[in-house]
Parts: sequence; structure tokens; C-alpha cells
Amino acid sequence: MTQTPETPDDDLLAAEMVLGLSSDDDMIAARRRIGTERDFADRVVFWQERMTAMTDGIDPVAPPARIKKKLMAQVFPKQRVTILQRLWLWQGVAMASLLFAGYLGVQLLEVKTQPGGQPTVLAAQLVSESSPLQVLAVVEPVKHEIALRRVAGTANEGRVLELWAILPDQAPVSLGVLPDSETTRILVPSELRSQAAQITLAISDEPVGGSPTGAPTGAVLAAGAMSEL
Amino acid sequence: MDRQEIENLIARVALKDRAAFDQLYDRVSSKLFGVCLRVLNKRAAAEDAMQDSFVKIWNNADKYNANGLSPMTWLITIARNTSIDRLRARKKGHQDVNTPGFELVSPGPTPEQYAVASSEASRLSGCLDTLEEDRGRAIRGAYLDGDTYSDLAERFGVPLNTMRTWLRRGLIALRECMSQ
Repeated sequence: MTQTPETPDDDLLAAEMVLGLSSDDDMIAARRRIGTERDFADRVVFWQERMTAMTDGIDPVAPPARIKKKLMAQVFPKQRVTILQRLWLWQGVAMASLLFAGYLGVQLLEVKTQPGGQPTVLAAQLVSESSPLQVLAVVEPVKHEIALRRVAGTANEGRVLELWAILPDQAPVSLGVLPDSETTRILVPSELRSQAAQITLAISDEPVGGSPTGAPTGAVLAAGAMSEL
Repeated sequence: MDRQEIENLIARVALKDRAAFDQLYDRVSSKLFGVCLRVLNKRAAAEDAMQDSFVKIWNNADKYNANGLSPMTWLITIARNTSIDRLRARKKGHQDVNTPGFELVSPGPTPEQYAVASSEASRLSGCLDTLEEDRGRAIRGAYLDGDTYSDLAERFGVPLNTMRTWLRRGLIALRECMSQ
């Protein structure tokens, strides 16, 4: 590899990218190459790791507590009225008609965002015979979110509920630990979105912090397959 | 900072685990805030940059495993790049070249972890000091103050192309020093 300052080799291009010195064109090219060329990506990592050592001498400074509050409010906004919450306005009505009402709600939403689009709405009712836990899940197609509402049951004392997505013949993929709240929203991982209709959702009993192994370790407290509304 | 612990927290944040995000904030926010303050030198701007950085961490944690960076490098790079972007946006007429940086780009499937001994990385500082003609100062200026080639050319009173050649020589010397 020849290198002169006039005709920079990949290593220099990587270093300039890390420093933020690249021209616009070089930066665009470098970003593209990171995604496609392993060697180039490794050069960027090499420089990134080393340049970051310039921050070693920077002392930590405790940020004011209000920043954390602002951040959490931004990342976890107070839930607006979701389809599920609308559904629950009609508590006592049969589940099927509730879900149908949700379907109409989603369609109305869809008309605004995707004119002419014909959305498929997926929902699952997570139950089991051995546990009182009951959770209703509806996939919101535009945002790729699963809106969950815990209808009955709670986590066991000192334990948490962890949600899993299971595709046929594949290992469960964790969608995270469920919060204590009755409702929550969870982003469908991008790799699962195209197969959302085949997903079975399951909730397992796990130690605080979630499964330490990446696979369910406790009893499955509720499960249900997605069905199209 | 325990690497394994931070990696575990990032992995759980990738699964949208709110408690893990809360813990990660408590573990690393002081370091990231220090970095934002160092770059931006203004408290209000540093607070905003740090908040933005954590939003990016929340949204991009699932890409962390793919990029091969050590966890603190990944987190610090997000804070540094977010701060530099704000700094440059403040300066009139500057191109914004840094968003998103490498840390938010996924480099494709099945990457090998690029292991780097921290002793080798921390040798950087000593090597920067050995570079001739203030080249170390220029490289630090680019990394910590967001200086562009034209900023540096102005500061050192040389033409842009001269500055570019001169700093690239510094980078070549820096790599040689670090690999010794």
C-alpha cells in the first residue's frame, strides 16, 4: 500500500473520516464503503478506537438531574390515546367486536397516512390455562409497533415479564422486559417485520433484568399467535 | 469502566429495555457530559448535545454489535460527533459532514470484532506529543474542537492544500508511532 499525503490511501481516508476532516464527497463515499468493505470498516474502527483516547483525559462531569428527566420524557413519551386504549373504552363488549373496532380505527389512521393503502392489521391474545396473565397485542402497521395491554395478572414477586417473538422453527427473539404499566409499546425489530403474520408472542417469567441467557429461562405464562383482523 | 457490563446494558437497550437504558445513563452520562462540555464549552449546548446523544443511543443500540467498536468508544463517539455537529452548525457557512458518523452506520453482516488493546489506544497521547511542527495540536483540534482543514489552514497561516498535506503526514507518522 503506497501512501503519500497527495494521494491518500484508505487508511488516511479512514482517519480523516474519523476526525471529521473528509470532504463531503469523501464522507459520502466512506460511509458507503463502511457498509460494503470489511477492510475499510476495520480501518475506520482502528482509528476510531485510537482517536477516542483523546477523551481519556476529559474528567466526567455529573449532568444536572433535570436532563435525565427531559431525556426520559423524550424517549418514553406519555402514551397518546392508542388504538388499544380506544378499544378499552368499550370494556365488556366481546373481544372480537373490540378488535374489529380497533381495525376500523387503524383503517381510519391509515387513510391519513397511506392513501389507497390496504393495511393488514395483526393482533394476538396472549393467555394460558396455568396462569392468570392475559395480554392483548395489536401490531400497528405504520409505526411497526406492538401495542400491548395487560388485561389480567402481573409479574410474580421479585420477577419480571419478558416478551418473546417466535417464528416457526426458530429460536425465540426477546422483545424486551415488559414494564409494570398496564400498557406499553414495543418496536418490532426490522428483521421480523416482513414475517409479522407468522409470529407467536409469548411472555415468560424471568429474573429481574430479563433472561440472562438470551433465551426464555422461566415458565411461559401466556402465549398467542398473530391473527389477521 | 467494565466493558462487559456496558456491553450487556447496550444489548438490553437494543431490546428496548427501559430499565437498562436508565442504568446505562447512570453509568456513562457523566463521562459523555464531560466530552460534550469539552467540545462545546457551553453548558446549555452540552446538555442538549448529551440529551441528543442518548436519544441516538436508544434508537441505534441494535446497530452496536455490528460495528466492532468497544462500547465506550461507541458511546463517546456518538457524544463527540453530536457535539461537533452542533458546534459546526453554530459556525456560519460550515458544511455539516459528520452526521451520521460511523457509529450509526451498520457495516454489514457477520463482522469480526476488531479487538484492540487499550494500552495501544492509550499510546495515542504520547505519540501525538512526539509529532513535529504542532501536528499533534492540529489533530487534537480536529478531534476535540471540530476544526476543518480550512479552520486549521487559517489558524496555522498556510494554504489549504499545504495544511491537508501537512496533517496527512502527521497521521502517517502517528500510525507509525502507535504501531511501534
